[in-house]
Amino acid sequence: MADESPEVPEDLAKVANEKGIPLDLMRRALALGFPAEAVKQQIQAPGADAEQAEKFIAEQERIRAGGEITLSEELVKSAAKNGWPEELIKRALALGAQAEMLITQMEAGIRPEQAERFIAQQERMRDAAARGEQVLDLSWMRVPTEWGIRVRPGKKGLTVGAINVGSYASVPDVWQYQSEMPRGAHPIPGIAAMGYSIYEKVDLWADNAADLYEEAIQRRWRPATDIPWDSMEPLPDEIERSMCQLCTYFCEKGLLAGDIVGKWLPEMSYGYHEVKLYLSTAEFDAARQFEVFRKRALSNGGGMGMQSPGYFHRAIIDTRVWTEASVVLHILSNSFLIGMYQVGEYVAHNEAESLIFRLCMQDVSRQLAYGVQHLKQFLLRKLDKRAEIHSYLNKAEAVMTHEEEQDTPLREALIILLGGGVSKEQILDGVRKLEYFKRRWVRDYVARLAAAGLPERRERLHPLLKKYLEEPTAAQAAA
Amino acid sequence: MPQETKVKATFPSIEWFNALRDIINDDDAYKHIGTCDAVVGVKMPDAKKYFLLTFEAFEVLEAKEVSETDAEDSDFWLEMSDARWQEMIKNIGENGKADLRHTLNTIDLEEEEGFARSNDGYRRDAFYRFNQSFQHFFDSSAKIDTKFA
Repeated sequence: MADESPEVPEDLAKVANEKGIPLDLMRRALALGFPAEAVKQQIQAPGADAEQAEKFIAEQERIRAGGEITLSEELVKSAAKNGWPEELIKRALALGAQAEMLITQMEAGIRPEQAERFIAQQERMRDAAARGEQVLDLSWMRVPTEWGIRVRPGKKGLTVGAINVGSYASVPDVWQYQSEMPRGAHPIPGIAAMGYSIYEKVDLWADNAADLYEEAIQRRWRPATDIPWDSMEPLPDEIERSMCQLCTYFCEKGLLAGDIVGKWLPEMSYGYHEVKLYLSTAEFDAARQFEVFRKRALSNGGGMGMQSPGYFHRAIIDTRVWTEASVVLHILSNSFLIGMYQVGEYVAHNEAESLIFRLCMQDVSRQLAYGVQHLKQFLLRKLDKRAEIHSYLNKAEAVMTHEEEQDTPLREALIILLGGGVSKEQILDGVRKLEYFKRRWVRDYVARLAAAGLPERRERLHPLLKKYLEEPTAAQAAA
Repeated sequence: MPQETKVKATFPSIEWFNALRDIINDDDAYKHIGTCDAVVGVKMPDAKKYFLLTFEAFEVLEAKEVSETDAEDSDFWLEMSDARWQEMIKNIGENGKADLRHTLNTIDLEEEEGFARSNDGYRRDAFYRFNQSFQHFFDSSAKIDTKFA
């Protein structure tokens, strides 16, 4: 009489041998109707060994022979809470489902009718395989994720925020998966970790991230064709040189912002895709900032100017946690950047420059919006971290003000642009206006921090910034 | 070739803002800029006239005359003297759009307290985030035959 035990496929046998699991155990698993591919995935999972496999298969054989299935207290509790009949749980366990996995799925909002469809399909597959029939493994079609979602476009179209419905709207406080699995998908065991380091919502979240992503996509612009480049005319040499120096500075800022976001994106786990999506657009915005200012510098008879000292750049690059990077880049650095864009628009000599600066203001203000909202939720959830944020800002403000003192080309370029030239009167006018604008920049920076939940920063500012919050006369006397 | 007939309205009045709203809501160039979501107050303290504009998605949803307090219950409000408002609107009418010295941003910098004001440092940034939409909105007043009250 021929041996009727199933043959173990070569690839499964290879994995079993590598894991030290006897082939006989594999034959017993296949005889129970488990697909060879599923068995292979199970034994490939970290921690799977011969003892565990023997225990699992023996339990399955006992159940198939009519043995009673007992449910743990935790499983019964979760089933009752989520409306899953105990009979359904027993059918799932009879198919080899792990109790922990079932609890995870119930808590994730998988409805009992969805689970029933999946389980019935698996039972059909198991029975067909047991009869030796050739069948497709269609289990993936009955994936126990929330199904039947049909979101309709709203006034803004079909947005990322709008499709956050049902269980897909649930953003966990901690993302437990280390792979690239999208939120709401069904995990499979044995997937290699991707090396993310940010798994807690509090460390990156901002409620406005999905809206900012859509806003960035909707309000995108093309420097090559959207800017009226032919509106530019030759400018006095000192004005062209000053504008080009400013453009050089903005090019550096663009590259830096792209590098910082690019460095942190791979650290962020996939559970918080709204933030990852928005920051991807921020990175694109940074590239466009570089592009448009390089184009401006090289399109009106000028060229690139001098490099900036870069102390502040290094301070941002060296940040150790994302919240620190975000506060320093998005709120501190960008508060002054948007102020300079405002000045750029104010001193624009043609429609091209005016539009460039207005559009760049829009882009960088989205980063400010993310930064403020992220800091706000961070401070609300991590009450003990307030002093840490001040510590980050103490360091960053000190480096930034030092950089400002050292960056003579930038300061003089701003003075010349604001004064309109290099005569004595124009320089005096430029100096006066620059001081006036700095007061506004500091005022707006402090207002943003207050909106983020850090109003006391006003009193703890670096002295070289704080002087701008004082009355102009008092500030002059103190200078 | 028939000459374009401009709608006539007096500034400041709710009729003027409604005319501007209608022009914008029929303007593909405005939609092309992208979605804009903000509630913007308009304050003319000299004339004691206050308005509230609601920008939503690709349109101006509503313009209404309100109290001063309601105008400030917004993301930000635009405030300057009546003379400056008139100067800006006249400049737009004469040039077809604001010249370089009369953009919203330039006026904002020239006003000591700012043209765009808010009680909230986060919400005020809507002025920057949607600046081109707001500029296009006011630039479109060139299509109105404006009389000043």
